[in-house]
Amino acid sequence: MSKGKIAIVGIGEVPTGWYPERHEWDIIYDSCMQAVTDAGINKNEIEGVICSPAVGQPKLDSELVFGKLPEELGLKGCKDIVSVNGGGSTSANLLRMAEHWITTGIAKIVLIMHASKYSSIDPNVVIHTFATSGMSMEWEYPFGTTYNGMIAMLTERFMDKNGVTAEEMASIPVSFRKWAELDTNAMFRKPLTVQEVLSSRMASTPLHAKECNMLADGGGALIVTSPEIAGKICKTPVYKLGEGSRYCQATVTQRPEELMATQVKGAAQDAFREAGLTVKDMDILELYCAYPITMPYLLVALDVCKNGKEAMKFIEEGNTWPGGKLPCSTIGDALSRGHTGSGVGFAYLVETARQLMGKAGERQVKNCKHVLMNCSGGSGMNQIIEIFGRNLK
Amino acid sequence: MTAYTKPLPEMTPWSKKFWESTKLHKLSMQRCNNCGKLIFYPRKACPECWSLDLGWQEVSGKAKLNAFTVTMAGVEPVFAPDLPYVLALIDLAEGVTMMSNIVDCKPEDLKPGMDLEVTFRDCTDNISLPLFRPA
Repeated sequence: MSKGKIAIVGIGEVPTGWYPERHEWDIIYDSCMQAVTDAGINKNEIEGVICSPAVGQPKLDSELVFGKLPEELGLKGCKDIVSVNGGGSTSANLLRMAEHWITTGIAKIVLIMHASKYSSIDPNVVIHTFATSGMSMEWEYPFGTTYNGMIAMLTERFMDKNGVTAEEMASIPVSFRKWAELDTNAMFRKPLTVQEVLSSRMASTPLHAKECNMLADGGGALIVTSPEIAGKICKTPVYKLGEGSRYCQATVTQRPEELMATQVKGAAQDAFREAGLTVKDMDILELYCAYPITMPYLLVALDVCKNGKEAMKFIEEGNTWPGGKLPCSTIGDALSRGHTGSGVGFAYLVETARQLMGKAGERQVKNCKHVLMNCSGGSGMNQIIEIFGRNLK
Repeated sequence: MTAYTKPLPEMTPWSKKFWESTKLHKLSMQRCNNCGKLIFYPRKACPECWSLDLGWQEVSGKAKLNAFTVTMAGVEPVFAPDLPYVLALIDLAEGVTMMSNIVDCKPEDLKPGMDLEVTFRDCTDNISLPLFRPA
């Protein structure tokens, strides 16, 4: 149980995008230094460092796993470092590890981070990595799977069963883009229309290119500590109030159709119970979608909408947009932000803290008190729901 | 037969019989001799009861189309010559769901729930992939 055990007190992030000339450690320097400055601490006060995996980047990944970061950045007070890997659900697991270190006295102040650099990797290696990671090499890959293809099948089934049109589906990337237009850290910021989504190249029916992700470079860092220390050093600490998680099976093609919804409901119930809140108390839902279809699925599973058709109407009418009734996915999700491997979940965590700290600039949701965020790893192997607030209660 | 360049299934000790069977153009599933559960994909132990007493049963190859996509772009070079191709979730009559390709069918004729039957593509001397076509 994690209610009020940890607080986020500093955030750092570099813009997500395609920066082949930028060294991966430059991303790490900038995001970590920003987070330390934002927290108003001295770098040597950091006692623990917890890293995300650099998926598909073996050199950076082994540098992080084998502890280079505190040495490179000169974190003289560091007592230990570890990498935690939950794929796309890493962000929540970084916090869990930080909570363990903070509550057991292993480290009083912890730096958690993510960095990815895909722009300098051979595109064919990237395509191969993402055609095989999270796939069964025996029962899926030999048939020519891609991430797009796997999600495309589920999207086709969702549209067929719920009578959803291509225009309605295209309103989801448009909703994401509305947020990204206001986000200087997003990769794609040009206004986007339903027509532009539908006229982009078909990748895997019914998914058009603008409904699929583009890999990108990016990185972020957060400073995490106990509520006691947070109260002394930070004016706007962000507290973790609740969490729940459920396992959803690794192999997409072996996952029963209703399993994801059932498991999201279970995870959300646990998280809301721990926080003593309901979905109606949430000012933002930071839904990590990766593909458009996840948004209506989550809106139904979280009891915001009754069914898929109603969820599509909810999105199409602009309720999830800036200024809408229930702002959702305020970084523009992976589609507009750029997909940074295991980093999209981290970007959502940074944004959750940013919104609750009141530092989101043009994207700031007014009087934001409570935020729900979800994350999920692999091809949807799990669902973790976390609730954060700007007050301990 | 031209040389097969696409990736082949990475077998486990427990799936060997599945692929020996497809080589003979038969589709077989593992069955638990203790609890009777039909198991896909093949395991060392039954995922229901952990019995190690597992056998094999030939299945009909009759199936229905659960979900599909026509892949148009964004694939690895070895799959590019096949574009466009159909990826599908297949519900076997015996209650098992598996992934495969739909062949011998125009993309516009694909309909959720349509009847399918298994067919086999001989890839190498050792491997034949089970594919599906309209029944």
